[in-house]
Amino acid sequence: MAPLNWYLALSAVLFTIGVVGVITKRNVIAMFMCIELMLNAVNLTFVAFSTYFGDVTGQLFVFIVMTVAAAEAAVGLGIIIAIFRNRESLNVDEASVLKLDGRGGGGGRGPTYNPGLSPPAGRRPPFTIYV
Amino acid sequence: MPWTILFFIIFGGMAVGCALSMVAQRNPLYSAVSLIGVFVALACLYLTLASPFIAAVQIIVYAGAIMVLVVFVIMLLNAEEEARRPYRLKFLIPAAVGMATVLIAEAAFMLTVGGASRPDPQPPLVAEVGLTASVGTGLFTEYLLPFEVTSVLILMALVGAITLARRTQVLGMADEDLAVAGGPAEDAAGGDGIIRPGDTEATGQAMAREQIARGEAAAPARRDEDEEEGE
Repeated sequence: MAPLNWYLALSAVLFTIGVVGVITKRNVIAMFMCIELMLNAVNLTFVAFSTYFGDVTGQLFVFIVMTVAAAEAAVGLGIIIAIFRNRESLNVDEASVLKLDGRGGGGGRGPTYNPGLSPPAGRRPPFTIYV
Repeated sequence: MPWTILFFIIFGGMAVGCALSMVAQRNPLYSAVSLIGVFVALACLYLTLASPFIAAVQIIVYAGAIMVLVVFVIMLLNAEEEARRPYRLKFLIPAAVGMATVLIAEAAFMLTVGGASRPDPQPPLVAEVGLTASVGTGLFTEYLLPFEVTSVLILMALVGAITLARRTQVLGMADEDLAVAGGPAEDAAGGDGIIRPGDTEATGQAMAREQIARGEAAAPARRDEDEEEGE
């Protein structure tokens, strides 16, 4: 097999490409796929070390990482679908609803509360919240 | 052994090429196919590292289950090509590539010059840790607790996925019968119009009705009958 450093270098390059993808992409599914790429780069490091030093712990860690990645994929894609139902867009720039002036949901489900507007008169809180 | 080095160069190049293609593509479906190429290349690299079990699990779980799920979601949501990024985010690509170059330069320095005092570890003559029997022995003797905990984790993921995909039916009224602004307050608040605390759906609808009555928000557009989502 190739020298250990070569595998580690390849893993570092793959991880860096994944990080560049997460920073640069605006589509939420593409960001999710770049996160999977980062997980696989780390798997490669684990397997390389496990083979070179004869320790089975590395292989088992890869096994656990794959299980966690599968669970995360199921729940993460469920969240993406739930967000898409409300917002009809896969752009992460439009999913900033935690901001005070973010755009809320909107669909055909009936009247929806628009959080960007002023609160109803008579229910104003006595203090102002700075975020 | 020049053969394994040749295989490493071939499959390593394929992995890096497919990863770059995945990041550069604007269509998410092309990105998904490129990522499958990365996974296949990584499985072949695991084979060069004498780990047939992990290679097989990589193909089965990652390329065969996770990527199928991702492609299914892409086609379900009809994801389109990425739009042009706004002007305020134009700095992202040069900044990301610059930082990536710094990171790779650091890694290259560490792997060549930084560790020069320590000799390279020699590859083992016989690698038995990658065999399925070794992995199985370790999984069921020394690492039994993580194995059982992952079963609980998968159960939690199952419950979470089902909860997220569940359709929440408003009791007593279908969606197309929900009254718009000014209608009776019966849609989500129960039979007598009282909104229970913690009932965020009824509260939101009541506040939206107030805003529409005050003229601040627009009344929602009615959906056609055949496009009803039934949420």
